[in-house]
This record gives sequence, C-alpha cells and structure tokens, in this order.
Amino acid sequence: MDSSSMDMAMPMSMSISNSMSLSTTNLHGEQVYGDLGILAFKISQMKEQIQAERVLLIKEKVEKNRERLASDVAQLLSLAVLRTDGSAKEISGEGKMLSSRIKNPLSILTGPSQASGDDNSSTQEVAISISAKLPVVDKIPPYTTWIFLDRMHDYRNQRMADDQSVVGRRRIYYDQNGSEALICSDSEEEITEPEEEKHEFSEAENRIIRMVCQDYEPSEEVLEILAQSIGGNISEIHEAYHMLKTEDETLNQDVSVSADLGQDRSISLDKSLSASLDSLDNLFCRRCLVFDCRLHGYSQTVITPTERQYHPLESQENVKPCSDHCYLQFQTVKKYSDRPDVLNEKHTRTSDECPHEIHNSAEPGKRKVSKQTTTMLEEPKHVTDDQQESSLKKQKRLSIPDTVSMTIEDAQVSNDKVMVVDVTTPNQDELQMIPTDEAISFGVPNSTSRCVSADVIEDSSTGVHLLKQASNQKQIGGSPINSEWKPLEKELYMKGLEIFGRNSCLIARNLLSSLKTCIEVANYMYDSGAATSQRSFTACSMSDCNERADADLKELEVPSRSRLLRRKGRAKKLKYSWKSAVHPSLWRRIADGKNQSCKQYIPCGCKSMCGKECPCLDNATCCEKYCGCSKSCKNRFRGCHCAKSQCRSRQCPCFAAGRECDPDVCRNCWVSCGDGSLGEPPRRGEGHCGNMRLLLRQQQRILLAKSNVAGWGAFLKNSVNKNDYLGEYTGELISHREADKRGKIYDRANSSFLFDLNDQYVLDAYRKGDKLKFANHSSNPNCYAKVMMVAGDHRVGIFAKEHIEAGEELFYDYRYGPDEAPIWARKPDGSKGDDLLVPQGRAKKQ
Amino acid sequence: MTKITLGCEPAVGSLAPSKKRDYRVTNRLQEGKRPIYAVVFNFIDSRYYNVFATVGGNRVTVYQCLEGGVIAVLQSYIDEDKDESFYTVSWACDADGTPLLVAGGINGIIRVIDAGNEKIHKSFVGHGDSVNEIRTQALRPSLVLSASKDESVRLWNVQTGICILIFAGAGGHRNEVLSVDFHPSDIYRIASCGMDNTVKIWSMKEFWTYVERSFTWEELPSQFPTKYVQFPVLIASIHTNYVDCIRWLGDFILSKVNDCLIQSVDNEFILWEPKMKEQSPGEGTVDILQKYPVPECDIWFIKLSCDFHYNTAAIGLYNSGNREGKIFVWELQTSPPSLIARLSHVQSKSPIRQTAMSFDGSTILSCCEDGTIWRWDTVATS
Repeated sequence: MDSSSMDMAMPMSMSISNSMSLSTTNLHGEQVYGDLGILAFKISQMKEQIQAERVLLIKEKVEKNRERLASDVAQLLSLAVLRTDGSAKEISGEGKMLSSRIKNPLSILTGPSQASGDDNSSTQEVAISISAKLPVVDKIPPYTTWIFLDRMHDYRNQRMADDQSVVGRRRIYYDQNGSEALICSDSEEEITEPEEEKHEFSEAENRIIRMVCQDYEPSEEVLEILAQSIGGNISEIHEAYHMLKTEDETLNQDVSVSADLGQDRSISLDKSLSASLDSLDNLFCRRCLVFDCRLHGYSQTVITPTERQYHPLESQENVKPCSDHCYLQFQTVKKYSDRPDVLNEKHTRTSDECPHEIHNSAEPGKRKVSKQTTTMLEEPKHVTDDQQESSLKKQKRLSIPDTVSMTIEDAQVSNDKVMVVDVTTPNQDELQMIPTDEAISFGVPNSTSRCVSADVIEDSSTGVHLLKQASNQKQIGGSPINSEWKPLEKELYMKGLEIFGRNSCLIARNLLSSLKTCIEVANYMYDSGAATSQRSFTACSMSDCNERADADLKELEVPSRSRLLRRKGRAKKLKYSWKSAVHPSLWRRIADGKNQSCKQYIPCGCKSMCGKECPCLDNATCCEKYCGCSKSCKNRFRGCHCAKSQCRSRQCPCFAAGRECDPDVCRNCWVSCGDGSLGEPPRRGEGHCGNMRLLLRQQQRILLAKSNVAGWGAFLKNSVNKNDYLGEYTGELISHREADKRGKIYDRANSSFLFDLNDQYVLDAYRKGDKLKFANHSSNPNCYAKVMMVAGDHRVGIFAKEHIEAGEELFYDYRYGPDEAPIWARKPDGSKGDDLLVPQGRAKKQ
Repeated sequence: MTKITLGCEPAVGSLAPSKKRDYRVTNRLQEGKRPIYAVVFNFIDSRYYNVFATVGGNRVTVYQCLEGGVIAVLQSYIDEDKDESFYTVSWACDADGTPLLVAGGINGIIRVIDAGNEKIHKSFVGHGDSVNEIRTQALRPSLVLSASKDESVRLWNVQTGICILIFAGAGGHRNEVLSVDFHPSDIYRIASCGMDNTVKIWSMKEFWTYVERSFTWEELPSQFPTKYVQFPVLIASIHTNYVDCIRWLGDFILSKVNDCLIQSVDNEFILWEPKMKEQSPGEGTVDILQKYPVPECDIWFIKLSCDFHYNTAAIGLYNSGNREGKIFVWELQTSPPSLIARLSHVQSKSPIRQTAMSFDGSTILSCCEDGTIWRWDTVATS
C-alpha cells in the first residue's frame, strides 16, 4: 500500500501520513468506495499537499545551496585578502598607481544631497584628466566563429545535425542603435507547435493517479475527474494508470529483479553476433568505413552487395609464427610425432573434457598442469615455456597440431591426410605488419575490394570493438574461460573466415584477440573441417555451430568462383573502347543534364540487376560501387580506362562526366604509395592519374588574410598553373529548405556562405568549412568552382582559371543572378561549358 | 518557458517590498554624453573593495566610493579609436597582485589595462565581432571569459595574453552570446547564454592542462595551441527569448527571462538547478526553483549585480512607456524570494543598464544610458 510513497522524493512523513489517512477513510466503510464527490476533494487535497511539499523542498534546496555558497564565498574572501599581502611588487615602487591615486584622487565629487539635502539638485559633470590613452589597435574584419574542417574532421563536408536546423524556429532581430527588437519569425504557421503533444505525467501527477487507483476502479467518471484536475485526456490517464499498476505489482513482487535489470548492459559473449551488433550495425558508414559518419549520417539503410569478393590469402613458405600461441609452434611438434592417431584421440578427449574443466577452474590448476606435461613430452622446451601460461590455454594447445593444414580444398580430407602441412599458411609480412587496431584497413587486401567487402569489414570491426569490451570485462571478472566457444565467438570466427579465409593467425588476432588464441582458432577450424568430412559420409553428429560453419563456408566459395569467371568476361569487353565504359543511355543523360543541377546519389539495394524499380535509375543517377546491384549492372558507371595520366581532359569519360576517377572502378587509375613522406600529398608525377585530386587532397596551401577588396580574403601560398586544383569548398550539408531559411538570416547579417551543391543539398560554410570560404567574388576571377562526383559524393573543388602567382588573392565568380534571386529558386544557366555547377548566388562577404 | 507541471512549481517572489533596508540617492555624476553600459566593484583585492570602474563610449574610468556619498575619481583611460564603444568591464589581476581592468566592446578588441601602472597592458585581437560581457575567475583572477557576438565564448589568460579555449562549434551558441559566468567554486565549470535563447553549461576539465600551460607559455601567444570546446555538458532551452544575463548562485543558476520582446512587458529572473547527465552530456534537465519578477521592463541587455556574499541582488529596469528607470533589490537566498526595496527617483528617466552592489550591499551604483552614474546608500530604518 505504501509503495507509492516509497519512491517519492518528498519528505517521507508527509506522504505516509497522507496515504494513511486515505486508507483510514477507505476502511471506514464500503460506501466511500466510488464516491466521486469525495474523490475530487481528495485529489485537490492531494494537490495542495504536493504543492506544500514542493515549497518545503525548494526551501531545503535553497538553504543547502546557501550553506555551500557561504563556504565558497569564504574561500574567495580569504583569497582577496591574501592578494593584499602579496603586493610585494608595490612596495618596491612598481604598480602602485591605484593605491597612490586613492591617496591623491584626480578629483573629489561630493554628493549634492550632502550639501543641500535636496534630491532634485543637478548632476555634477565629471571633468577628468586622462590617465592614459589606449593606442589604436587594428581591428580585424568581422566573422562568426567557425570550425575548421581539418584533419580531425577528415576535411570533409558534414551533414547538418538535426538540432542545427533553423526551420520552424523563431529568430529575433534587433536594431543595433535602439533597443527595439523586431521579430522576424517565419510565417506564423511554421511556428505553431503540434498541439497534439502527448501529455507526460510528472512524478506528482503519477502519484495522484496511483493514489486514485488504489482506492477506485478506473471507471469513466473517475478518469474524467482525474483528467480535469491533472490534465491529459482519458486514454492517456488510462494508460498511465495501467502502467503504474503493473509497475507497482512488479515492484512488490521482486525488488531485486528490477535492481539487476539495469546492470547487465555489457556485451555478453552468449549473445549472437547480430544481436550484439544490433545497435552498432547501422552506425557504421560503409562508404567511409567509419562509425558515426558525419557525411552520410547514421542509421543508413544497410545495403548488402549481392556479390562478395573472397580473397584467399596467398600461401608462403617459411612463415613465422604469429605468437607464442600460434599453431605454427606446433608444427614442429607434429613433425616429430609419429603418432597422429594418438594426437587426434587426445584432441577429442580434451575437447570433450572442456566443460568439465571449466567447473574445476576455480581450483589451482596443478592437476591440469601435470597432465599437460605428460602429453607434451615430445618437446620439453615448450612445456617449460608454457608453465608460465594459463593452464587452460595449454590444454587447448595440445590439441592443435593438425589443424594447420586445413584449407578449403582440404575440407573433404579424412583423418589420415591430416598431416599435410602448409597448404594455406598466412602471409608472413602481413602478419607482422598489421597491428590489431588496423584490422579494418587490412581487411581490404587491395583497393578493388573496398566496396564489396565493406560490410564484412564492418562486422569485423564492430566485432573487434565488442571484443575489447568483452575482454576487459572478462579480465575484471576473473579467470578467463577459453576452452568453450561462446555463440558470439563462433560467429566472430565465421566472419573471420569470410574475411581472411582459413587463416587462424589473422582470425585470432583481428577478431578474437584476447578471447581465443591462434591455436584455439586453428583447432576449432579443424573441428569444423572434420565435421565436413564426417558429414559427407555419416549422419550428422556434430554440433549446430559446426554445421553452420560449414554452410557458411560453402556459400563463401561459390561467389568467389563466379567472380573469377566474370572478371575474365569483363576484361574482354573492356577492350573495345572507352565509350563502352558507360551505358549509352546514361551517357546521354549526363550530357543532357547540364541544365539541371546534379542529382544526389543514393545507393540502391537492388539484387543483381537494376530494373525499373531501381531508385538510381528512377533518380537518373548512375549506380555506383556502393550499390547493392552486381558489377555488371547496366546502370553502373564503369569508370575509365585511359592510359596513364590521360584523365585530365574530356577524353576521359570520368572527367567528361564531372567525376573524379576512382581506383576501385577505373582500370588504370591508382595510387602508388611510398613516394613522398606520409601525410604529404604525393607529387603528381608521370604515371599518376590526374583526376583524383579531391580524393587525394592534393590541394594547395591557402592563406587567410585581410582582403584587398572586402573583409577577409583567401590567398595562395605558392604559384600554380591553369586548371590546377587549389582546394575544396567544404561546409555543412543542408537541405534547400534549410538553406532558404538560413539565407534569410544571413542576408540580414550581409554575409552568406551558401553554395548550391545538387538537387538535395546546399553547402553552408558559415559555421564549418575551410579557408576557401573566404575567397571573394569577382566577375573577372582567377579561379573557378566545379562540382565533382567523388566516390559517390558531390564535392566542390576550386581550380585555377589561369596561372596564379604566389601570394595572390583568390577570386571566383559567385554567379550572382541578374535579380540576385536565390539560386535554388531559378534554373542555373548552364551556358558555360562544363562547369555545370553553380556557386550559390547569394554569397557576399564583408 | 517549459511547461510547469504539478509538483514542479517554482516559488515566486512577491513584489511587495519588505523594506528591510532602504536606499537613498547620495550622489549623481554625469560622466559624458554616451551611454554607460557597465559598472563594477573590485571584489578581487580586499584593498580595493570600494573601488569601481565604469565603461561608456571609448572611456574607462576608475572611481572610489568614500564615506558620506563622496565619490573620488582615480583614473581615466581613453581609447584613441573614437568609434569604440565599450560594453563591459571586469577587474582582474596578475600573479603579483597588480590590479588589471579588462574591457571590451563593439570593436571586439579586449583591452587589458594595468591600473597599477596606469598603462595599457595588452590588447587581445581575436573575437570576430563585438564583446558583450567579460567576467573574471575569482579563484584565479588572471583568467577571464569573454562572450561575443561572433557566437563564441573565449577563455583568456590576461597575464600572458593567451587565448586558451574557444567555446564554440558543433554544440555552441547559434547567435550572439550575451552573458557568461564562472562557477564560484568549481573552477572547471562555466555557463553562458545568449540570443539563441539557450543557456549552456560547459566543463573545462579535460582541457585544464591547457589552462595551466598558459601560465608558463614563453613563446608567442599566437603560437599557443588554442583549443575548441565544442560540446557543453548541458544545454537548457528553458527560455523562449533572449537570455541576456546569467550568474551562478552556488550550484544553481540565475538567468533572466526576456519576455519584453513578445508583447508582454514582464521579465523575470529564474533560479534553477541544472541536473547534468554524466552519461550523455548535453542532455540534462533543469528544475526551476524560484522566480524573481522584473515587472514592466521593456528593454533588454540589462545585467544584475550581487553583493560579495550573494545575499542581495540589484537589477535595473526601465519602461519606455512611462520612461521610468527603477532598481529592484531582491533578497536572493530566501525561499520564497523577497523584494527588499524598489528604488526610484523623479529624475531617473533613463534606462539603467547595469548596477553594482558594494561588498556588503550597503551601496548600489547604477549606470544609465544618458551617461549618468547614481549612487544609492542605505538609510537607517527605524
């Protein structure tokens, strides 16, 4: 009964006495039950009481705060007094002007009331001799504080965060000279807030509902009275009523349960991978390969490519072990051993024993250790090394040896073939070069696979992340339990197979680090392989997980083969001419598209071929590498196959279409690494594609200084030649509606940094951007802006229109419209050749 | 304002003055013709508790309050740029205890004046637009905060001339910042408010090493690695209009609700408790505890002042209808709040931009748009 008062922040005695009094009324007779007149009275009584409690609470809070503040002030006071003592410098004669002025003021002004006692006497003029003049300091041109989209922000445009919208918000302007303000909100209908807001019941209101539901049935009348006195409508109150009721019941039933609920938020290894990834899955941007991508936003629709690439890692001899726990360490063991059967037997036995061992793991591992020593006799050195290791790990290691040789081809191998060594050993260099944290980049063996394997990589990187948490948790939690494969571990293992093939070193390191050792993975891999072979002969007797592993493995193999075939076919086709690189109708569309602003690309999720329903086709954009459709999709932009460094003219289909070349798509365009130190843009020398300048950020150093024309200006540090790329105009990506609204605001401040990007977005460099936002307008400019399609995104590049000397100020044509109308309100004129793109007409900086 | 629900009602102060204390005009100065926007006592150094500074136009003036309503003029500084119009001034000092004055205004240049040597100490160029308020960290009086029209708040070290932090960016203000204040004891915590109708509470905790570095920095100040603080720990959207004054009162915050722009002429200060969520910064809630009405006031950019112990506060108000400039004196830390006195004078016909309460609250100074400075002293009540 008193549960309602339990969770109140109010003084306990009050609420208890309150519910006591209610219950007494209730006890006194059944007639009270359902007496609605009394109910209304009770509610108002309760309200008063709640208000009284609130008053007390505030008093209490204010009083507490006062005490705290008093001690703060005391501290400040002592500091202020200390400063008096610390004025040693003043004694030496320096810095005592203020003190000496106190003794000899410039003038003394006696109050008028002192003299006459007359309040209405005139004010005294202060005629003051000047102590010092403050010399003029040059002002800087005005600007609003902005964020430089620098390395930390990946130099990229950022999509506007939801809370940054000015649409529907009132903006008040005032006249600087007077204090009169004028309200400039948008049309009234924009402001009107949704009336049908759900009534949220406060704690106090819940308390009243609770009180009522203890004493009354929730009849229409009761709810009606409640609604009248505390607000909300009947159905809302009904809802709240039931919610509170169940809440109370559970509260009464088991307090401890509810306490437990909140705690277990960490990732459990017993959860499935998909469940663990649930919340993280759509936070990953498959286009940028980062979490929480500011450019494409979170909660993107997940598009799974229909075809995946599978890269079996090249085998190599003389591989070094990845760690002490590497399965390779045990090859030697195996070679010396001439009793494979025994080993195998042992292996089965150990794994059978696993659960048992876990139960015993609380005991000191002496028993286990001794057991190991006997089995490890073949190589004493190892045993001594292992003494230092956890006994559980050792036990697992014992059973590894033969796994080494398992490959996809070996899947059917029976037990007697197990001894074959080194069919698929990992690439030693890769193993050593790649630290765990870079698993993501490593998952892309060459650039071509970037898009296709993106989602695999995503899973793995999330996995790694999860794992780190999971392993931390484990360490805190006590002794590691390594011998058992948890569902999550199994699934991570499957992902590892997808990414790395049957390479236990890489899987263990990148996906199961600190959960499973290489040996354990190798062993598990062997188990799975064995399962396959067994299953082909006998009835299935293996565990679920193994079956799944096999199934996945098979799926994996099929596409990788078909891909190879397709590749051959495509290679032939591409020989014809560059014209075939693009689908004919699409080609035309691009050519025709000059009079329209470009279309924002949204990856389609079509399976294999794009048909009429394909959003890309519908939207008149090409399919890109981020689409779900197959590579042979007719709507795909196929890139170019220009010879080296030929991509700088309209001869190159990419260049002609206003796109940068894409090493993943174009045939001969790639970046070789190693020239130039890291961090520096590689020199554009022979052999390099000249049409990836935004992608590679091969930009010029831009300087910011006072403009020779107006306000701030952008200047060039080093001289450049015609058509050289200078830099990118970056900013916040906002919708046209938003831009419209912001444009109005900016016009008042007479400074706008809007730049029309495509049919969906406008770039706003007002609060985020780079120095090029300060390049001024000129009708005879030395630069031009061009929207380029770079890896599926539209970006604005600023290029030199002519040779520009070092230190010159940069200008480009903002393309002010004849009527200065916002660009999105009229059709941009595409008369000027190629640069279909059209800077925002309103930009004007002062 | 957020909707006030049952059980969350604030305690509203009554407008009937308690007359616990009363004040009378004891002196009146005409400093010039230009509006005086700020007046402030020196609470940094106990030697100068009765010394105050004013700014108006391109002038910074230092005075002293003497017995019997007498005001002595001590120092006066003129900016050679006649177009400068100072909006704000604050007392600070360097490590040696030399008193400094930090003033800023329409030019956006912060002037640090060495009052101990009567010369300019440093000028900070950096703000992209006018400076609306400057406040000093009383625990470390070389640190000052400036609130600017360029939408940022900046933390400066006046001793070394370094801009240490810039509070702006992704989570920053979206319009002019009008007011800013240091927490009285939590040295990491500041609050700011402005024309985007929000109050933001920021933490400098993870940037504190930069603050410490600024004291020992020996290279050029411009080479200091100034940091952006982009995300506040709490954003309170409790107001629907400009918030032009903010002060910490212990762990609570006093902020001014400015309703004068939307027809109603009633403003009020609210005292509220910020409730931060440590897990998700930026998303706290607020509990509005008390209200101090400022009735019949239809101008904004008015600031409140407190005595050293935060017991009483004085706020100027002005009604353009009857052209009356009044001062309300509130008892701050009682619940419900109580009005001590309502000060008016037949000749007080100009908007009062700021008041200054003396150390013990016995003297109130007010500065007006017509360039006058008024001194009010307590009179013994029988």
